[in-house]
Amino acid sequence: MAKKIGVYVCTGCGIGDALDIDKVTKVAEKEYKCPVVRTHAHLCGKEGVELIKKDLEGEEGVNAVIVAGCSGRVNTDVFNFGPSVMVERVNLREHVVWCHPANDEDTDMIAEDNMRMGIVKVQKSELPEPYIEEGIVKTILVVGGGLVGLTAALEAAAAGYKVVLIEKEASLGGWVAKQYKQVALRPPYDELRENDIQDIIKQVEDNPNITVYTSAKSEGISGGPGIFEVTINQNGNTVKEKVGAIVLATGAKPYDATKLAHLGFGRFQDVVTKDQFEEMASSGKITRPSDGKEVQSVTFIQCAGSRDPEHLPYCSAECCVGSLRQALYVKEQNPDATAVIIYKDLRAAGQYEFLYKKAQSEGVVFIKGEVVGVNEAGGQVSVEAEDVVRGETVQVDSDLVVLATGMVPTTAFGEEELTVEVKEGEEAEAAAAAADTIIRSDILNLQYRQGPELPSLKYGFPDSHFICFPYESRRTGIYPAGTVRAPMDVRAAIDDAAGAALKAIQCVELTAKGAAVHPRALDFSFPEFNLSRCTQCKRCTEECPFGAINEDEKTYPLPHPTRCRRCGTCMGACPERIISFKNYSVGMIGSMLKNIEVPEEFEEKPRILVFACENDAIPALDIAGINRLEYNPWIRIIPVRCLGSLNLIWIADAMSNGFDGVMLLGCKHGDDYQCHFVKGSELAEIRLSKISETLDRLRLESERVQMRQVSIMDYDQIPKILDEFAEKLEELGPNPMKDF
Amino acid sequence: MCAFKYNPAASREVYNLESGKYAQQCMQCGLCAVTCPARHLMDYTPRQLFKMLFAGEVDKVLKANTPWLCTSCCLCTVRCPRGIPIIDVMHSLKHYHFEKGTKAPVATLSKVFFDSMMKRGRVFELGMTNAYYMKSGFGAIKDAMKMQDVGMAMMKAKRLPLAPPKKVKGLGDVKKIYDKAVALAKEGH
Repeated sequence: MAKKIGVYVCTGCGIGDALDIDKVTKVAEKEYKCPVVRTHAHLCGKEGVELIKKDLEGEEGVNAVIVAGCSGRVNTDVFNFGPSVMVERVNLREHVVWCHPANDEDTDMIAEDNMRMGIVKVQKSELPEPYIEEGIVKTILVVGGGLVGLTAALEAAAAGYKVVLIEKEASLGGWVAKQYKQVALRPPYDELRENDIQDIIKQVEDNPNITVYTSAKSEGISGGPGIFEVTINQNGNTVKEKVGAIVLATGAKPYDATKLAHLGFGRFQDVVTKDQFEEMASSGKITRPSDGKEVQSVTFIQCAGSRDPEHLPYCSAECCVGSLRQALYVKEQNPDATAVIIYKDLRAAGQYEFLYKKAQSEGVVFIKGEVVGVNEAGGQVSVEAEDVVRGETVQVDSDLVVLATGMVPTTAFGEEELTVEVKEGEEAEAAAAAADTIIRSDILNLQYRQGPELPSLKYGFPDSHFICFPYESRRTGIYPAGTVRAPMDVRAAIDDAAGAALKAIQCVELTAKGAAVHPRALDFSFPEFNLSRCTQCKRCTEECPFGAINEDEKTYPLPHPTRCRRCGTCMGACPERIISFKNYSVGMIGSMLKNIEVPEEFEEKPRILVFACENDAIPALDIAGINRLEYNPWIRIIPVRCLGSLNLIWIADAMSNGFDGVMLLGCKHGDDYQCHFVKGSELAEIRLSKISETLDRLRLESERVQMRQVSIMDYDQIPKILDEFAEKLEELGPNPMKDF
Repeated sequence: MCAFKYNPAASREVYNLESGKYAQQCMQCGLCAVTCPARHLMDYTPRQLFKMLFAGEVDKVLKANTPWLCTSCCLCTVRCPRGIPIIDVMHSLKHYHFEKGTKAPVATLSKVFFDSMMKRGRVFELGMTNAYYMKSGFGAIKDAMKMQDVGMAMMKAKRLPLAPPKKVKGLGDVKKIYDKAVALAKEGH
């Protein structure tokens, strides 16, 4: 269907007062011959929307709408005319009139260039058609039958989804089933409650929507969201199940106490771990392992192996509350017995405060400090600690010492490997950046080119981005929940289970529609590969942060669109530029920048091209506009899905087109990365280091191309960043390629 | 190596006092200590006192002047994040002190002050001072001599009259109130 573009320029919000609107409409009418060009004083109002709708339905037959006015981040619902109408937003407000002087020639030029880019973008893009796999199933696989797995299964089943649950042990319940009593989830919070895991197990077993495989593990998972095929090995029998999304709830294991000899474990019989203590409590009587006598005094040592750079550097979250609970077991058995807790910080937040107070009123003694030694004295274990409140070393003698050992995720056990082989040479840096650490923990056994398990973020936890997206992993459709994701207590784990179940449901529903999942939810475009020109360089398969691209028998890339998050990192990586989306391609951005008017050198109007990440940099630029922060008028902004999608040809194009400089605004990378697609900005920076060499060879100063990391909160820095860059370019003088 | 040994069992008797159990709720934040207007005079702040209790140092707690310097102003009680009625705990500690018969200078002062007040309904400073030094034993005479210049200065300024003051009106009623309170306390109110 031929595109018929309607351009609608809004003159509200001060746009009409600050700009020469005729110049802007002339671009659409004269330069690009758009058949319908209209202005309105209040386009987002009822009348304005009616105006557009009339053209869409009427004899004008408009099928592509360009709204020139406010930022594309606002009024998205107002300017949504259904899936068959392409809508493009040209920003005249936040990026033009709100951050540049009114009635100024240079401000008008920005508006004109933005209009040119908008029109070209629509001309060069097509309406995306959703990619819908055949035989999509909405069943959810839950791996792990502990509290989190059971809760996730029940939540998903309650929402009407079929669930397949696999558990490696012969019975369900996991770690929680071994607990004597549980913390309260509802008032009264100061009392322990009976362990109700058996009720939950029964609910799961009785639920017709849930299929349970015990003594089972996954031997292989192939496919992608909506079309996962899982091979389950149950006691040697192989069963195949098709599922749509996966919740990973395999939990954590206690830290190996044999490494804690400095706390007495292994040296003295009466030093036990909290799990051994729990077992004693469940069996009915808490006794000394050495002589079997009932205990009269127990000392609990917190952070045994946690928050210790030599063991687990992180806080294991559950142990403080666990020890409060266990100290109450001691008091329950014998109210006259002494219980002492030696802690660094007692982390019993929220309602657990009631439990803490309860333990205090039962007479449990709390010592803030670090243990310096554990010895035996007179048939008792004597713990020496640096008491920071008393400011001296103190000694506590007791019948039994319990170590509150930390937790290690089940995904942390196994051989480590990198997803990309890092060889010496030119590509080494890029390969190192693209490489993820995979630990062969034998849990999922994915049949992905990038390795059999989820990439680990830190300390073996398979999290992807804990700041913005809990439950997300770096493999689409697989959501870790509970203690396998991060150390957490029972209550947080139950919330986690519900959260991950919801993410899995979102995933199957969006995949069934052919849409992307978070963070580009409801994006129907997907990368298409023109394989006839592929050189099998493998950059796309290696750099995809989500492992979406496998390899076929002839080692060509084999994309799995349902695994794809639509960031475009593959598009940026491809040296042959054979990867493109229907509405986002190398050619499209190239045409956009070529349509920006670059004045001749004598006019003394430099041009700076800014590629800004849509996730953080564009919002930051918008907020700068909202705050009326002014910056130089030489800037032209092109939003990109992620800096990872930046193809180097754009920079070469910009340079040969006479732009004086190019700036990339992307998210923070490194340890606390903020990139929504994990590695995009990091990869862009590495690609940039390569273009510097090329620029130097062309006798163009490499300083002409710079990358800066900005977060959404850095909007106040935007003018400084852009103006400093403009000053730098002024020092360098105009681009010598300008006049060619 | 003789590190200090925790003996939490020793403090149980204190926790069993009328308001003693509240002390257990202390989480050592120190708000009471920074709040107390008399903290600079105390041997131990309320926080330190509670920590000593946890460790089982009952003797030290009994010797501390903290409860005796507490003016019951209630500032710590309203600020305590754990809601501990700290002044009630202090009252309980004072009672416990008399029960145990421990000697502490401030406790003696408190006693003579009270006796002097009950005699006339108001305090006779000179009489009270004398009574204090008499009751404090032989060593106190030395202390009394040290304070001579202060006493002389106060006398000159007519702040330490030689004759006892007049009794208040209705002293009998005050005594009745006191007797009733004592009777109620004995009944366990």
